[in-house]
Amino acid sequence: MTSKIFKSILSVAIAVLLASLVVITGMLYQYFGTMQESQLKDELSLAASATEQLGQSYLSQLDSDRYRLTWVDADGTVIFDTHADSATMDNHENREEIREALLTGTGSSVRQSSTLTEQTIYEAVRLEDGSVLRISVSRATAFVLVICMFQPILMVLFFAAGLSAWLARRMAKRVVEPLNNLNLDQPMENEAYEELSPLLHRIHTQHIEIEQQMQELQHKRDEFDQITDNMKEALVLLDHSGRILSINPAAKNLYEIASVTIGEDFLTLERKQFMREALEQAKVQGHAEFRAQKNGRDYQFDVNRIDSDGNTRGMVILAYDITEQVNAEKHRQAFTANVSHELKTPLQAIIGSAELMENGIVKTDDLPRFVGHIRKEASRLLYLIDDIIRLSQLDEGAEMDQEDVPLKQLAEDVCENLTDAAKLKDVTLEVTGEDVVMRGVRRLLYEILYNLCDNAIKYNRAGGSVTVSVSQRTNEICVSVKDTGIGIPSEHQDKIFERFYRVDKSHSKQSGGTGLGLSIVKHAVQYHHGKIVLASQVNVGTTITVLFDTTA
Amino acid sequence: MRNRFDEQLFELNREIIEMGALCEEAISNAVKALVTGDVILAGSIKEKDNAIDQKERDIENRCMKLLLHQQPVARDLRTISAAMKLITDMERIGDQADDIAEIVVFLDGHIVDNMELIEEMAQETIKMVTNSVDAFVIKDIALAQQVIEQDDIVDDYFLRVKRGIISLITDQAVNGEVALDLLMISKYFERIGDHATNIAEWVIYSITGMHKGA
Repeated sequence: MTSKIFKSILSVAIAVLLASLVVITGMLYQYFGTMQESQLKDELSLAASATEQLGQSYLSQLDSDRYRLTWVDADGTVIFDTHADSATMDNHENREEIREALLTGTGSSVRQSSTLTEQTIYEAVRLEDGSVLRISVSRATAFVLVICMFQPILMVLFFAAGLSAWLARRMAKRVVEPLNNLNLDQPMENEAYEELSPLLHRIHTQHIEIEQQMQELQHKRDEFDQITDNMKEALVLLDHSGRILSINPAAKNLYEIASVTIGEDFLTLERKQFMREALEQAKVQGHAEFRAQKNGRDYQFDVNRIDSDGNTRGMVILAYDITEQVNAEKHRQAFTANVSHELKTPLQAIIGSAELMENGIVKTDDLPRFVGHIRKEASRLLYLIDDIIRLSQLDEGAEMDQEDVPLKQLAEDVCENLTDAAKLKDVTLEVTGEDVVMRGVRRLLYEILYNLCDNAIKYNRAGGSVTVSVSQRTNEICVSVKDTGIGIPSEHQDKIFERFYRVDKSHSKQSGGTGLGLSIVKHAVQYHHGKIVLASQVNVGTTITVLFDTTA
Repeated sequence: MRNRFDEQLFELNREIIEMGALCEEAISNAVKALVTGDVILAGSIKEKDNAIDQKERDIENRCMKLLLHQQPVARDLRTISAAMKLITDMERIGDQADDIAEIVVFLDGHIVDNMELIEEMAQETIKMVTNSVDAFVIKDIALAQQVIEQDDIVDDYFLRVKRGIISLITDQAVNGEVALDLLMISKYFERIGDHATNIAEWVIYSITGMHKGA
């Protein structure tokens, strides 16, 4: 701005200077020219009258540097010249001013010198004797004058330039100052130049627009953040070169980082082969997925390429915890394998016995024993299938009829049914506690007590005892089955409720049972919103306590 | 201009991380093959080593180009020169993992009874390599320092393994060839530990500009 103002001021100054220079020089030159001419004429008339009276003696004693006087005879021969030797001079008859003077009495002419630097003015007058007296003076031409003035003009120009620079700076400052003081946050509240109000108005509307858009963006961002912050899945967004654009808290947990890593290479978080390969695969094929263990848990990683207008914009990495799913899968596989195995064993025994009988190898005396064997194995199969059906019912979570069940009486019923088995193992059964009535499914509660007592008898030692106690506490009903049996080693304690799990694998045949008893107990208790507490010591005994929450 | 340079430094960083990851995989696979006597796995380590060698050449090229075209100074120059030193050590780790694998192939599934000590030593070495790569990735001086200190543990393991092998020989529990192979393997682990230490030192140099030797 300053330089623009400076340029215009300076050019105006130069233009004015040049114009005035031309005008003044022209005018003054003209004026002084006329002045000089009339002066010259006066001098000439003086000299003419003097020459007429005194003749050559006047001219010769005349001493003047300024004027040059030449006396020319009527035929053009120079009689006398103040500046040169008359003898050497040419005939002046043809000179313009002399010819004019000879004809009309006076004559004048102006001649330029050959170099154009000087101009000579001639004035001539005819004397009474017919001769002509000429006076001449030299003066500088306008061009020379201008050249002579060059230095002062240059100085003036310099001065003008300096002045314009100073003025320009001051002016720019003064013009810009109110602009600089504009409050652009509140454009409508400024009192600057009137000319600025359209601009300010525009800024104002743009301000509002920007603010709205910012709010909208912020809002969207917040929404996005809120969703990603609260999702359980780890989500990482990468740009086209693999830098992290966004990472949610779940992903930060997964990679155990605290600080913000936006803009960093994703490989700084995960450089394992499977991730590198998945990223590479996703880059080419658009999608990749793999399972991997991280911090002791199983995760499913999905990597997807994001395309837009045919260009790769980035990648999305989504990881979710599938530990439960993997465990459930393992369980299912184990369950299927176990079920097939458990179902196969009695069937094979049955087929074996039947084949022996079919081939007539069995003696008639042994026949009842073999038939008994077949019956026993068949009923074992039936029990097993019954248990599986019951379990699958519980798994399905079907609604069952609820009623008020007197627990102590139920326990006594169970014990009565197990008396034979207890006698066989030489175990005493006892029910203690109060009469407690509980709302629940009678069949399931029976199942719980039966299986617990059955186990307590089965895994007891000869002469041992089983005590069932029922009691009511505040907010909960407590049923516990205590035995004096072999106990459960601590490493097995959290697994015995799994299907087909057995502490001693070799025992299964010996003790009978299906391996599903405690599993049924667990599900039945869960159905009643209860919980199981296990306390056991090897060779001392086991106490399983079931707590039913009565407030639920 | 600067932008492009930054982009290239980013690529360089990524390639070094990838090379580090390859080294980690090579050595952990070598250990796995050694412990389980898995000859097929041992054979596959050759490919890893080739990949590591290729990576080294790529990174070297990139560094040279950066040095010539960008003429970096100060921190950038340190990063690039440290990178060039890092990759030589990484490449050596790859070679030694491959050497171990070759011995595993030579042993042909023959597992010696008292391998526990060598296994412990191997795990410690793997940890060192992982830590040194981690130190580079997250530019962590403390972690790099830890790697340098860890080297003493590995050196100590080497002495213990050596003594164990001597007693194996005197008891004539293994034949001499196997004993020597075991000694070689443990020496390789010890060397890998040294290379991991070097890597850690160059990481410190690239961050602080101070190298242990200077």
